[in-house]
Amino acid sequence: MATEKPLPGSTTPKKLIDGSLIFITLVAVVAGIAVYITHGAGAFWDVVARETLFTGALVPKIVAGVIMASALPFLVSKERIQALVGPESGMRGLIIATLAGAIVPGGPSVTYPLTVSLLAAGADLGAGIALVSGWVLLGLNRTLIWEFSFLPANFVLLRVALSLPVPILLGWATRKLYQGRDV
Amino acid sequence: MNILIGTVVLWGLALWMLRKMQGQDAADRAAMWARSKATVIFMLPRIFVGLLGAGFLAVLLPVDQIERNFGTESGLMGITLATIFGLITPGGPFVAYAIGAAAMKAGATLAPLMAYVTAWSIVNLNRSIAYELPLMGRHFLLLRTILSVPVPMVLGLLVWAFQ
Repeated sequence: MATEKPLPGSTTPKKLIDGSLIFITLVAVVAGIAVYITHGAGAFWDVVARETLFTGALVPKIVAGVIMASALPFLVSKERIQALVGPESGMRGLIIATLAGAIVPGGPSVTYPLTVSLLAAGADLGAGIALVSGWVLLGLNRTLIWEFSFLPANFVLLRVALSLPVPILLGWATRKLYQGRDV
Repeated sequence: MNILIGTVVLWGLALWMLRKMQGQDAADRAAMWARSKATVIFMLPRIFVGLLGAGFLAVLLPVDQIERNFGTESGLMGITLATIFGLITPGGPFVAYAIGAAAMKAGATLAPLMAYVTAWSIVNLNRSIAYELPLMGRHFLLLRTILSVPVPMVLGLLVWAFQ
């Protein structure tokens, strides 16, 4: 798509139908047929109804997350994003990305669009990996609301302590892997 | 309930950012809305198909088997099994915690529990299919998965070694 003025951090998706969509469609069709055969029509329609309702409930969240991800590159300059979490941001950039992942609320429908948006706006792949890893391992929301209510506090604290360096290490490993390569 | 609170918080943040956007060019605002619309159109069918696939897989995966066999093995074998169970445990934000808590009551030790919860947190099949593959693409998903799979093993072994 050609535009006269390059947009900051364009996250406009490439193709509406791509390999990933075809793959997950195949998974859904094959697994759906398997459920229909092994568990019957009732179980099949239960899943369809439940996931349809759930997708509907997610829509407001998705829209809010997408607005935030789309607005971010207009509100924070590319230079600033690059300085914070760009390829030259060093260990500090990986720590910032990890913390951002830990505090961003909203789950996958927010974190992934935000990561795509930041990657397009100047963050490097290492920072993107650190951000998603920070969210999945240290996400405050999930840990505070759910993990503490099921598991003993000393276990949760030990898990968080052991996991703290992990997103930074994974981001660093990504940078090492892609050193000198243009991604 | 959680989804409602989360949605309210998110909309608060989104509206705050939209207010900030008022200070920008009209062209920037139009570009932002166009991009938001394109991204939602891109995401919605993917999330729906992904959730359907993950939902069907959850029915097919033997969750009760996971619950029954978790913690029956100890040591390296126990940690490896717990990691595999964690990677395939489906379900929402707390299913793995509930299974972990049940396993603990049934006598599972700390090391496999650490491996299980960490594995489920860092890479799970459910989230990979419903969100990460369609939204981030194959390259990102594969890279993150390959880098992450050793992590639950390492954390489990650390706990085991220092226990």
